[in-house]
Amino acid sequence: MSAVWTVSRAAVRRRRLQTLVIGVVVALSTTMIVVALGLLAASTGPFDQAYSRQSGAHLVASYDRTKVSDSQLTATARTAEASAGPFGIATLDLNVGGPPLSLVVVGRGDAGGPVDRLNVWEGRWPDKPGEIVLNRNPVTSSRGRGAPALGNQLTVPGGPTLTVVGFAYSVSESADAWVTPEQMTALKPTASQMLYRFTQSATNAQVAAGESAVTAGLPSGALLGTQSYLVLRAVATGEPNTFVPFLLVFGWLGLAVAVLIVANVVSGAVVAGFRHIGVLKALGFTPTPAMAVYLAMISIPAIVGCALGVVLGSVLAESLLTRAFENYGAEGVAVPVWVDVAALVGVPLLVALSALVPSLRARSLSAAEAISAGSAPRAGRGLRAQRWLSGTRLPRSVSLGLGLPFARPARTALTLAAVVLGVTSVTLAVGLGKSLTTYQTAASRAGAVDLTMFGGRAENGSRMVPEGASPAGPVAKLSDSADEALLRSSAGALYVTASHDLPMRLAGTKQDLRVTFYRGDSNQLGYRVLEGRWPDGPGQVAVSERFLRQRGVAVGDTIALQSGGKSTQVRIVGKVLYNSGEEVLSNWETLALVATGTEATTYEIQLKPGTDIDAFVKAVQAGDSGLEEVPGQDAGPFIAIVLATVILLTLMLGTVAALGVFNTVVLNTRERRRDLGMLKSIGMTPAQVTIMVVTSMAALGAVGGLLGIPIGIIAHRLVVPAMANGAQVEIPDFMLDVYPLGLLALLVLAGIAIAALGAFLPARSAARATIAEVLHNE
Amino acid sequence: MTDDEGNGQAVVQLSGVRKEYGESLALDGVSLEIHAGEAVAVMGPSGSGKSTLLSMVAGLDRPTSGSVVVHGEDLGTLNEKGLALYRRRRIGMIFQFFNLLDDLSALDNVALAAQLTGTSASHARKRALELFEELGIAGRQNTYPAQLSGGERQRVAVARALMNRPAVLLADEPTGALDTRAGEQVMDLLLDLNQIGQTLLLVTHDQQLATRCASRLIEVVDGQVARERSLERTA
Repeated sequence: MSAVWTVSRAAVRRRRLQTLVIGVVVALSTTMIVVALGLLAASTGPFDQAYSRQSGAHLVASYDRTKVSDSQLTATARTAEASAGPFGIATLDLNVGGPPLSLVVVGRGDAGGPVDRLNVWEGRWPDKPGEIVLNRNPVTSSRGRGAPALGNQLTVPGGPTLTVVGFAYSVSESADAWVTPEQMTALKPTASQMLYRFTQSATNAQVAAGESAVTAGLPSGALLGTQSYLVLRAVATGEPNTFVPFLLVFGWLGLAVAVLIVANVVSGAVVAGFRHIGVLKALGFTPTPAMAVYLAMISIPAIVGCALGVVLGSVLAESLLTRAFENYGAEGVAVPVWVDVAALVGVPLLVALSALVPSLRARSLSAAEAISAGSAPRAGRGLRAQRWLSGTRLPRSVSLGLGLPFARPARTALTLAAVVLGVTSVTLAVGLGKSLTTYQTAASRAGAVDLTMFGGRAENGSRMVPEGASPAGPVAKLSDSADEALLRSSAGALYVTASHDLPMRLAGTKQDLRVTFYRGDSNQLGYRVLEGRWPDGPGQVAVSERFLRQRGVAVGDTIALQSGGKSTQVRIVGKVLYNSGEEVLSNWETLALVATGTEATTYEIQLKPGTDIDAFVKAVQAGDSGLEEVPGQDAGPFIAIVLATVILLTLMLGTVAALGVFNTVVLNTRERRRDLGMLKSIGMTPAQVTIMVVTSMAALGAVGGLLGIPIGIIAHRLVVPAMANGAQVEIPDFMLDVYPLGLLALLVLAGIAIAALGAFLPARSAARATIAEVLHNE
Repeated sequence: MTDDEGNGQAVVQLSGVRKEYGESLALDGVSLEIHAGEAVAVMGPSGSGKSTLLSMVAGLDRPTSGSVVVHGEDLGTLNEKGLALYRRRRIGMIFQFFNLLDDLSALDNVALAAQLTGTSASHARKRALELFEELGIAGRQNTYPAQLSGGERQRVAVARALMNRPAVLLADEPTGALDTRAGEQVMDLLLDLNQIGQTLLLVTHDQQLATRCASRLIEVVDGQVARERSLERTA
């Protein structure tokens, strides 16, 4: 074996370019595979593991204390696998020095127990009245500027003062804060909380069955609300699930390209090395060691590339996963070890397998056959094509180039396949980018709102500061109605919509919602109604697909929204295109049901075409200096991440495909050294040589483009809906129609560009090669 | 032909041509002239520099110092494109191993040289067919190199070299890969060409080829012209 190793090492050193190409291709492909598999494996892992470790509640239920007793709740809970409670609950508006903090507080004796074990990660658990522990995620805890800290005093209006003694984290999101049961009794709880774990809880139906069992026999109306862990799970895994479909597609594309290129490289190496194999055999190498040399020659760079790819892929995947899961305290989410092991074993195995077939061919050659076989392609291939091309009016360098791919049909097929996959990737990526930006444009209502203005802080503090506006901004000079009138009468104003945001909660849950109530030209706000209609009467709201999915409700259903201890029944009349599960849209008539005398905080203005926005702002500020322009919001971080990932993966795949072409051209030009030398000897200029070689690959690029585009479009049609499903958003059909004819033509050019880029350097190198020696010695 | 040698115009002029490949010296101050219509054979042992000399005249390589002027064109002043155009217009080359493109028919191999100059395919093929006729390989135009005998391949190579009516025909061991009979046929062909005025520069190990085809012999040893003499052609 030492001879095999010596010869293999020498072969790797001698074929530096080929070694580099194999290494880079395998490294990039492995990176993509690790990212895709890592994300898939981890997309449900951290949440489920954390939930299991903390015995998270499969169902959090709140009951009306006036209708059901603690003993009844304890009795019916026996049907569950495990339960905790009943615990008293109270929603308290606590003063912490700034605006009141509305918290769901639960009275609980300790942090342990059979269900929803809390992680007290800072401070301690309260052991006497007057103490409180806040629910806070350890990862995101440092983010809340101005949030309460250990030792802070929270005052219950008209009640006791509570000292923050610790921070705990509930994976079940069962409360905002906890106090001792004695303290809770003093706070006069209005409801009781029960936490359940069920034997079967994988589906909504199973959780619903568990809920039916634990509530069976309880008085009617006792159950105020529930929260399924599947909702939390969906929220936790939603974003990674968005990535998974397209990352998997890209991963598989990368894998396919890698296999094709490796097969191409290996077969080319064997063919180019026939003479070398013959010499090895003549020296006394038996067939198997001769084959082993070629397997080792390919495997060495592949193993190094694979190791690099695993490291790079792990770093990339961890970065994406940590970002996606950070809100659930899954700090430092790692790629599972099995993914690394699978990549480290699987990719080299794949490479070895693709090397095996041509190596077996090398093994079967006799020494004489191998030595005499030479390195040029077998004569007589593609003759008809060459003959036809030679009679065309094309420049001879072009027609010769067009004929070259026919000389080595197998290599051409492999290279073509790599280009097809490269174009498929580019097509998919471009489509994905367009769909996402189209979605973002529609969801952000671009074009419908030219200007958003904050109405200014009121001196009595009655106006809330909207997101993006300065909390220390100017004070409004005019009333809400006067501001609206001012905006409407200002030159250039087309539509003006006033709005007020109110933090509310869905009854029975501790999930905060932001409900925006609109007044004025709200039908001009640019919201795209996907189902139902825009709210047009009292007690009506519109929500997003994500809202509906996360809460298991549908258009037409009635929900109860709570604010300041008051509950309002509203009907979901429409599904609107936007990407938030925590926002609800409504109208001024509905606001009147929730709170009276509320003023608008924000005005959204659509201007007449050609209106100078700065001049408009100046004009209205002259009327009310308290009106403040709110800066526009950036694209959502999710879309930014996806677009960045798309670009990254496309560049990687495009590079891999171009490397495949590069390798093919290197092999072709080496094999055709003699022909190229002869062509130069009869007067072919370096530019003509370059054109000929680049043309040979550009033709493949054009064909690859024509084949790759439909495949890419099909992939887009499959991936985008899957991504939308993962992200819990609905993408209308028009967002899938993102391939106009001009773009398709450009995509064909992408295939040509990939091929031409891959071919250019070796073509130029061939054009510059010294030919005297080749012609004399060959 | 010999009568015209001294009177012909100098088509090839080498002055003090020196060529180094790293440490090794391939040509060491070679100066010589070849006149129009001459047939000059360059002989010498392996590694003496005779093929390097041919490469200099063909513009396939550049001298380290000295000048090469062919048909009034100083090759040292030409860039790569200029050299390619020079090879296209001024010279024709034939090689020991023919260097035909296996994918092209014999006709297309020959026509290719003209097509590179921009000649249309039909005109190039017409001119190629004339050459096939003249060189005695008529009827073989649609065959592929692999189907031709060695002698036929070399005739096709000669036809290709003559396609653009070169000022000088350069031949590097033109009979080296041929059997005796085929070699003799190629020798006859070269002699015939020279007799109708084609200037020839042959590099060969083959004494018989030299004495049969050449009117002058230049012997190169260690990169220098060791001896130069006129030859009496043998029948």
